[in-house]
Amino acid sequence: MATTAQQWLNRLHRLALPRRFKVMNVCGGHERTIAMSGLRKALPANVELVPGPGCPICICPEEIVYQAIQLALQEKVILVAFGDMLRVPVNVRKGEVRSLEQARAAGAEIVPIASPLDAVRIARDNANRRVVFFAAGFETTIAPVAAMIAEGIPENLSLLLAGRRTWPAVAMLLGSETPGFDALVAPGHVSTVMGPEEWAFVPETHGIPAAVGGFTAESLIAALYSVLRQLVEKRCFLDNCYPEVVRPGGNSVAQRQLATTMDVVDADWRGIGMIPASGYALRQDFARHDATRLYPIHDEAMRKHAGQMPPGCDCARVVLGSIYPDQCVLYGRACTPRTPIGPCMVSDEGACRIWWSNGVRTPRETAPAPAYS
Amino acid sequence: MCLGIPMEVIALDGYRARCSAQGVEREVSLFMLPDEPVSIGDFVLVHVGYAIQKMTPQQARSSWELFDAALAAEGADDYA
Repeated sequence: MATTAQQWLNRLHRLALPRRFKVMNVCGGHERTIAMSGLRKALPANVELVPGPGCPICICPEEIVYQAIQLALQEKVILVAFGDMLRVPVNVRKGEVRSLEQARAAGAEIVPIASPLDAVRIARDNANRRVVFFAAGFETTIAPVAAMIAEGIPENLSLLLAGRRTWPAVAMLLGSETPGFDALVAPGHVSTVMGPEEWAFVPETHGIPAAVGGFTAESLIAALYSVLRQLVEKRCFLDNCYPEVVRPGGNSVAQRQLATTMDVVDADWRGIGMIPASGYALRQDFARHDATRLYPIHDEAMRKHAGQMPPGCDCARVVLGSIYPDQCVLYGRACTPRTPIGPCMVSDEGACRIWWSNGVRTPRETAPAPAYS
Repeated sequence: MCLGIPMEVIALDGYRARCSAQGVEREVSLFMLPDEPVSIGDFVLVHVGYAIQKMTPQQARSSWELFDAALAAEGADDYA
């Protein structure tokens, strides 16, 4: 019989942890399972779970969001994008259009979609119009985009691509002086597509335990148990705690479609900067579908805070796992899902949004109350 | 977006499938599935409308329990 979440938890509590350990996850789905199940409170006091770079919408370059807004407003294209992206704010002067949602309210044709299949259908249904698919995502989303292109797309459909790869962000953190974690739970569905082997560098190069985790409490706690046990026993390797769908080598068809349609390039992460080999760009063969080649850049050279997180917003440090969502001074005060300031409060995969949805409504008390209060 | 949803194949037409999960039906592309046969009644893990892997009925069921809980949490999200 399969081991239950409670049994994994019992085993985990029996581990003799010699010190405090921080375990990072890099997937909004993992963070959602953790927040929903109340797992943080069920773990030993010296185990911390920190959400890391697990939200592609949150790190989508601000300039690309700005460009998408301008394409819809000025080039009169039909712009389609995953629904998560519509409320992501850019940095503009007061009164100017600051999100795709506001652009739509101002008359631009912007359609939220749930699948690349929707983009193809909309392009076919509007054969005399130009349609731009603004596609931001990690491997799990960009592989379907590649499949869409490989299958053949309408001539009037182009792509504004903000595809990012997960592991280079983790490699960047591990290569820094302060990685901020002792073990990694690797993302289940990224590994389903790309193969778990992508994460072997974590134990092999950096001596950090890693386990691929699924999205049920059982699978996730099994992965936590694995990495904590590796820490206790001082031997690290890459474990696969989601073997049901994560198979050696991953999905070879998806990888082939990615390789034939896209190049791996250095890429910018909003608020973080350039990460080597962390992005996807359309290959030259598909230049006629590349919105970055088809349309002029509409950005103003002097636009304030271009490329940055919104002023005062700590999303970049939340994404890097340097702080928890409720340690941002804006969290739950100025920044809520109704009035989001940073992208982490917008996207369903943003750590701030996930924490909010699961009941964390106020910023953390980080300093003692003033003596006079 | 990284949320993969297990769905049951209920109709097939080449690389296009009609899939169902918890009473919701949608069109799913099988174009990026590895070369293994898919039949009606099989379960696939669907991500943004594309099946990324076949899965067992047991695995599909335990994932659905998770989504039900996630939807309940979202429902309680009153934006207040």
